[in-house]
Amino acid sequence: MMEKMIFGRYLPLQSVVHRLDPRAKLLFIFGFVIVVFLANNALSYGLLAVFTLVFIYLSKINVRFLLAGLKPVIWLIAFTFLLHIFLTREGDLLFEAGFLKVYEGGVRQGAFISLRFLLLIFVTSLLTLTTSPISITDGLESLLKPFKKLKLPVHELALMMSISLRFIPTLMDETDKIMKAQMARGADFSSGPIKERVKAVVPLLIPLFVSAFKRAEELAVAMEARGYKGGEGRTKYRLLHWQGRDTAALIILVVLAALLWWTRS
Amino acid sequence: MKTYEIVVCALFAALMAIGANVSPFLTIGGVPVTLQLMFAILAGGLLGSRLGSFSMMAYVCIGLAGAPVFAQFKGGPASILSPTFGFVLSFIAVAYATGKLLSEPAKKAAYLYTGAVVILLNYVIGTHYMYAAFRWWAEAPQGFSYAVAWSWMAAYLPLDLAVIALSLAAVPKIRLALSKRSVYIIKE
Repeated sequence: MMEKMIFGRYLPLQSVVHRLDPRAKLLFIFGFVIVVFLANNALSYGLLAVFTLVFIYLSKINVRFLLAGLKPVIWLIAFTFLLHIFLTREGDLLFEAGFLKVYEGGVRQGAFISLRFLLLIFVTSLLTLTTSPISITDGLESLLKPFKKLKLPVHELALMMSISLRFIPTLMDETDKIMKAQMARGADFSSGPIKERVKAVVPLLIPLFVSAFKRAEELAVAMEARGYKGGEGRTKYRLLHWQGRDTAALIILVVLAALLWWTRS
Repeated sequence: MKTYEIVVCALFAALMAIGANVSPFLTIGGVPVTLQLMFAILAGGLLGSRLGSFSMMAYVCIGLAGAPVFAQFKGGPASILSPTFGFVLSFIAVAYATGKLLSEPAKKAAYLYTGAVVILLNYVIGTHYMYAAFRWWAEAPQGFSYAVAWSWMAAYLPLDLAVIALSLAAVPKIRLALSKRSVYIIKE
């Protein structure tokens, strides 16, 4: 199960998209996710597709990586497309074979919805391909700062995210080891009724949690010994710089939204 | 927040990521069952309401930031659009409620009560999100309605109930194991 957890999805290249401030990228992506839903005809979808392709081109990311990210959802996209082709009954009849009737509206609707899905996946995976997890965390921390007023511990949350990312592989290894140790003692995780299999998980939990608490204690002591005193007045090694191109990226998004609003029917 | 509290929340968020994907041996109809509900309950039960819900928030943020920590190794900002994202959000509420209702020393009735609240929170938040998703942005299968959304949940109910019962029963066991090994446990 370890192989599937790929955290090295970040591709460190030199491109405009890579150099954008993570805050700008995060705002851009969340804006884009909303803007995509404005498109509702061929012209506006075409505009979106062109825009996304330009974005991909600028990022210098090999299309192969984007397609690899598509693998888990390709069946879902194909399924929704087929569902629409056969079930939507609008527009002219294009094709008839027995009880199967394909209408023009169905093909159009299916193509649009699959395209929307595809574009969303491309653009959101560009975020993780062009931004390292640490910069994403930094960006999130900075963007969530206003929520500090609501007593949400933003700095702490960002730190939790970084620590947690670091410890997922470690704890994963540990789970694997404990599982093997319990299997050597005769625990059976892979056969028998489901209820028994869930029950077999409990002897796995106790050592796992004990070790997690112990690790936490050690790490906290180590952090404090190195002078960690919480978020107040803490300075940073990596600073985020908002530059002209970041503002430009957001302006481009607004222009795109306006264009879509104008071309949609 | 104290340093130890931050770190322990981080580790629980990491455990949650493992719990979401640790069970390749548990499948129903080909879909791997996740132990997320179990880990959310344990986060609330062992860390208390405040830290438990923070650790779940950290988990959600990690997933949204792009790490493949959600069930079936999914992640990224597009997960918000997934019809099942409501269940992920409900874990924050589940951890909070478990921590609030199951403060030590808990009586037997408290466990039953907590279990009922947990399943309600999980299903109500999750199903409504799913319904909203199919209504507004995901493409609903033909004949989708509010009742259909709930009927889908019925298939998972027995397993979820079993998982909840087991997790609630595991809370005092793990607490005992921790205190025996003189591991520091947070008292709120």
